[in-house]
Amino acid sequence: MNRTLEHILPKVQKPARYTGGEYNAVVKEKHTVKTRYALCFPDTYEIGMSNLGCRILYGVMNQCPDIWCERCFAPWGDMEEEMRREGLLLYGLESGDPISDFDIIGFSLGYEMAYTNVLNMLDLAGLPLRSANRSELTPLIVAGGTCCYNPEPLAPFVDFFVLGEGEDVTLEYIRLYQQAQEECWSKEEFLLEAAKIEGIYVPSFYDPIYNADGTLSQMAIKEGSGAPERVVKRIVTDMDKSYFPTKTVIPSTEIVHDRVMLELFRGCIRGCRFCQAGYVYRPVRNRNPQLLAEYGKASCEDSGYQEMTLSSLSSTDYPCLLELCDNLLDYCAPRDIGLSLPSLRADTFSMNLMERLQRVRKGGLTFAPEAGTQRLRDAINKNLREEDLLQSCRTAFAGGWSGVKLYFMLGLPTETDEDVLGIADLARKVYFTWREYTSNRARGVRITVSTSWFVPKPHTAFQWEAQIPVSEYQRRVNLLRDALKRDKSITYNWHDPETSYLEAIFSRGDRRLANVLEWAWEHGAKMDSWTEYFDYQRWMDALAACGLDGDFYAHRQRSREEVFPWCRVDTKVSSSFLWRERELCYKSQTTPDCRTRCSGCGANCLLSGGVCNG
Amino acid sequence: MADRLLFSKTGRAKYISHLDLMRTFQRAFARAHISIKHTEGFHPHPFVSIALPLSVGYSSQCEILEFGLADHSILYEDVPYRLTAAMPEGIVVHQCYPDGQKLKDLAYVDYIMNFEYPEGRPQETETAMQQLLCRESLIVKKKSNKAKLGYTEVDLIPLIRNWNLECQSDTMTVDAVVSAQNPGLNPELIRSAFCQSFPEFIPDFVTFHRREILNRTGDIFR
Repeated sequence: MNRTLEHILPKVQKPARYTGGEYNAVVKEKHTVKTRYALCFPDTYEIGMSNLGCRILYGVMNQCPDIWCERCFAPWGDMEEEMRREGLLLYGLESGDPISDFDIIGFSLGYEMAYTNVLNMLDLAGLPLRSANRSELTPLIVAGGTCCYNPEPLAPFVDFFVLGEGEDVTLEYIRLYQQAQEECWSKEEFLLEAAKIEGIYVPSFYDPIYNADGTLSQMAIKEGSGAPERVVKRIVTDMDKSYFPTKTVIPSTEIVHDRVMLELFRGCIRGCRFCQAGYVYRPVRNRNPQLLAEYGKASCEDSGYQEMTLSSLSSTDYPCLLELCDNLLDYCAPRDIGLSLPSLRADTFSMNLMERLQRVRKGGLTFAPEAGTQRLRDAINKNLREEDLLQSCRTAFAGGWSGVKLYFMLGLPTETDEDVLGIADLARKVYFTWREYTSNRARGVRITVSTSWFVPKPHTAFQWEAQIPVSEYQRRVNLLRDALKRDKSITYNWHDPETSYLEAIFSRGDRRLANVLEWAWEHGAKMDSWTEYFDYQRWMDALAACGLDGDFYAHRQRSREEVFPWCRVDTKVSSSFLWRERELCYKSQTTPDCRTRCSGCGANCLLSGGVCNG
Repeated sequence: MADRLLFSKTGRAKYISHLDLMRTFQRAFARAHISIKHTEGFHPHPFVSIALPLSVGYSSQCEILEFGLADHSILYEDVPYRLTAAMPEGIVVHQCYPDGQKLKDLAYVDYIMNFEYPEGRPQETETAMQQLLCRESLIVKKKSNKAKLGYTEVDLIPLIRNWNLECQSDTMTVDAVVSAQNPGLNPELIRSAFCQSFPEFIPDFVTFHRREILNRTGDIFR
């Protein structure tokens, strides 16, 4: 290990995050590989190591003998301070070598509040922040992940973005890079070729042109670049043939999701109108249950984990869930391996399923009705009936559960005070259900109501909507808090509005926000998803310094004709479909799920044959 | 009747904390398909216990872990290589055997402390250290969460059984046999006492290594 690092580590908290050397960490002889890739997650080790996407890409790349992919995370403040003092550059965990010497540096972008960490990590690596100031081909700075569906706020810093699922396209651009290196291409020459790969968005080939009122007039394609009109996201077409990581790096220290993660399917049949994931991950693609059971067992065998979680956007919509659970439980139960199932829909939560899960360990129970009244749930297309939720609670309470968490959003389009108060009513009904059905009243009950402030996201039916003003959000929080004041068994938590406001700015922001990011970073912004570091005033100052108005991005209603910063990004869910969904919202009309009836969103064209396996 | 492992913890594994190490062992047993006894009670979990917790950042070649083999078809001699293969880098299992001496008889630990002076070691450091360790008593403040003041006072001298000093141009190596438990002595206190008494000789860095564990009579403990 590097001597400087060895001297630093005794001074920092949780040093095992910075050493590498974990079980299954891939170490290759650097002289035998052609391409070195730093897979960077712009948050702490504990968060990044829990990310399934990173586990997949790490495996996909390291399967190739000529590619060595290493991991890199954002150091916590104490470590960063030591690194800067000692002049230790950001390094890959496997080799300890500075990532600035690598060929490609790839960031996984899952949430907007991690953007400043991208800048901070580039700086810690000793690299210029802006793509234009990095003239050499090497190292290339790449970004992928859900945030890239609106890549514009990070556009000047990243050489190219990868849209959609990375299993195939990652190797495609690495192969192109290898060719570029052998044939001594310039960075520009490489990017021209890269832009021809489906799913690759080269921001320098698109120029935003603004109207006088600050809205976009167009994203002009740079002449001669040959960059596509629309960059279509990539998907894995056959989940049964795609790579699944059964051998993953097992951390020697505790991380957030310290367990086997079994991905049941991609996409979601539901079509909740606020949900970006529900739209951008279309079409639905299931994995074969036998294959999943094998993956699950192999992962447990290899990792020694005592816990497995089934992951997807809505696990109860997996057609073979009971069969899979039975199969897995036959393996897990005798070995004391816990099986947990997040993302349950309250309406399909059957007694059967609950009994199965209880065979090993009883986790918490969480439901997300999202809205308090049927009217609003219909408007957002959260097709969950109150009766279904209460039925699920009845089953759970009778079965011995004594706590339930309920998640809601405030500020959804068309929300009225009646809808807000409906949340309190619903929580009370859950409480009365408990009183009536609990098997043990002496134990008491914990009902937790949590509300967040709705953030309109790109590529959703609500991409045209305004986020409600902060004062209005506060008023609705107070309204609900007062309504729940007397209910001792109900705890009410609400999200602080400051980060949600910034998310609303950046999620639909344009390229001008890059200056805001850079200004904020220069003035100390990093780790903005951590309360220890988040400083709202700094962001307000950054917007002011760049002459931009946050409300323009967050609180402005867009017209149907507005050109969006993400207009060159194509998820294959058509804009006319999204607009239709928006109109149905204002009529409080629902759209049936994809399995009941195809609504013609357009994403099916990504599959050969054009039929989703919803 | 319990079983024991003798293992070393060096290199990158030095930074795995005590609690994380126990979890690592539980998983490694599962990965190696060595079933071990579980605790009883409401939430049974694989039982492992480390005889003498090691500070984060210290290396060791003589760590003892207690557990119970649940499957007697597994041969003791097979455990070390199977387990080592399932371990993160830096943890090597050397031996597996049924317990003998009681853990409370583990009386002394032999630590090697290396004081590094990359710019060249001042000659006087040797006599300074000798002076320090030859004192009648050497009382230092030790952080304590229990004590009202936030610290307690300990005399280091009675806790040091014997010591030996070896010096080179850029290092000073202290080989000290110190009390292991009730109370034990963390050699970090020797370092801090030295730095406090001789601020002019503060080394660039100090490494700590556990070389051996001993019983009351000074024989190797297993």
